[in-house]
Amino acid sequence: MIGTTKKPLEEVLAALAPHRKVALVGCDGCAKICQTGGVDEVAQLAQTLEAHGKEIVFQATPERTCNVAKSDPVLQPLKEKIEEADALLVLGCGGAVQITRHLTETYGLTKPVKVGLNSVGHLDTVVPGAVATEECSDCGDCVLNDTGGICPVTRCAKSLLNGPCGGAEAGKCEVDHSRDCAWILIYERLKALGESDRLKRFMEPKDYSRMAKPRTLYIKEGRVA
Amino acid sequence: MKLTELFQKGVFVFTGEVGPVKGCCRTNGGPLPDFVREAAAIKDYVHAVNVADNQSALMRLGSLAASVLLKQAGVEPIFQLTCRDRNRIALQSDLMSACTLGIDNVLCLTGDHIRLGDHTSAKPVFDVDSVQLLKIARGLNEGRDMMGNPLTQPTDLALGAVVNPGFEPLDLQLLKMEKKVEQGAQFFQTQAVFDPVIFESFIRKAERFGVPVMYGLLIVKSPEMARYINENISGITVPRWLTRELEAVPPEGRKEKALEITLRLAKEMAPMVQGIHFMPLGWSDLIPPVVTELRKAGLA
Repeated sequence: MIGTTKKPLEEVLAALAPHRKVALVGCDGCAKICQTGGVDEVAQLAQTLEAHGKEIVFQATPERTCNVAKSDPVLQPLKEKIEEADALLVLGCGGAVQITRHLTETYGLTKPVKVGLNSVGHLDTVVPGAVATEECSDCGDCVLNDTGGICPVTRCAKSLLNGPCGGAEAGKCEVDHSRDCAWILIYERLKALGESDRLKRFMEPKDYSRMAKPRTLYIKEGRVA
Repeated sequence: MKLTELFQKGVFVFTGEVGPVKGCCRTNGGPLPDFVREAAAIKDYVHAVNVADNQSALMRLGSLAASVLLKQAGVEPIFQLTCRDRNRIALQSDLMSACTLGIDNVLCLTGDHIRLGDHTSAKPVFDVDSVQLLKIARGLNEGRDMMGNPLTQPTDLALGAVVNPGFEPLDLQLLKMEKKVEQGAQFFQTQAVFDPVIFESFIRKAERFGVPVMYGLLIVKSPEMARYINENISGITVPRWLTRELEAVPPEGRKEKALEITLRLAKEMAPMVQGIHFMPLGWSDLIPPVVTELRKAGLA
């Protein structure tokens, strides 16, 4: 999922300062899991904004706001309401905000679309409702087959591909002593799998052109450009 | 002179280390910066002096400019080059620049993480790692860049690398050391280690690589520094016996005590290695007596 955290209320109010009538769009996908933009959080924020003198034109929470297949059927019927609003505030990731903006444009509307959350990365839930960790950097050239299913690009603070730096102490990363050294995890895992020989292989520098932004995925062709 | 030539001749090699200052060093004919004077003062006792590259991710004068200043002062520099702040284009360009400016030795490092330094909001680069950097540097020595494009003139650099004998599990560190050797490392300087048993078990396993190893000898100046290192410097553990020895003497006697400890460690480790790399943290004046004693004892 895409992890999100709430922006401070002052920042949200500052972004909405010129606008009185606000339409609220949440996301019942990732933002719901992060407890930042599901139905409940949207309703909560609506109350808060009303207390600060805003008029809430509507509240909508598509199943996945980042996916036009889910957000368009929710927002299109609200086109007139969107027109009535001075601005939209999206409680979703940066993708959800921009897809919402894109949809309003396709509806022929030019409305400010503001964001109420900060996107903090591709994160995976390990303790539901409590903890999500970053496991994957979307590098476009997955090395997990060679590293025991533990990603050094993401979980090593320096993205080292050929083994650990010399900084780990007691198995912990030099950057954050509460975190395990990814390469020690990889070493232990490969040893347990009887695949320690993989550690001897030289790994070439990554092809970062595969991460060059912005990427477009052509789904039918399975092609990224 | 390249350190590799000294190792080939069987010379027991000594190196020191200085950290460039935070500031510009245009002297306009005035006195040399302190780190250059520190290096120049020991030039008759060491074969070369490492020049740190924004050490601990603290923004400083560039290691290449500082290396050139050392060279101009008659000191052989070892240009430290980290992957933290440069992508593969900048790394290759800096290697060629170094050779162009007369640098003969380069130490290829990953680099301390930005989180440990004074610009914690900077974007970490780490485009390649130290093993890959060694391969890239070897390619430049052979006349081609990492994409295979020919160079008008190859570089001619001795390629150094580092290894941490105190790392656990040691086998994992040795796997990386072996990769470094395979990709081009021609000599190693070790991270600071104070336990002869740990060092010996490392060196017995590392001998099979057939590459010169220099024992990394950090001069601990005070009990406070020992504690600071243990709490803040990754990869180094100052043992309690060393801290206790420093605690047992008054502050004014600590330099003498540090000299005694340094000499003791140097004598103990010297027979296991092809050289000693001193990390004096400003007390470079302790290096000449140690080197002199080692030579007198026939250990170097």
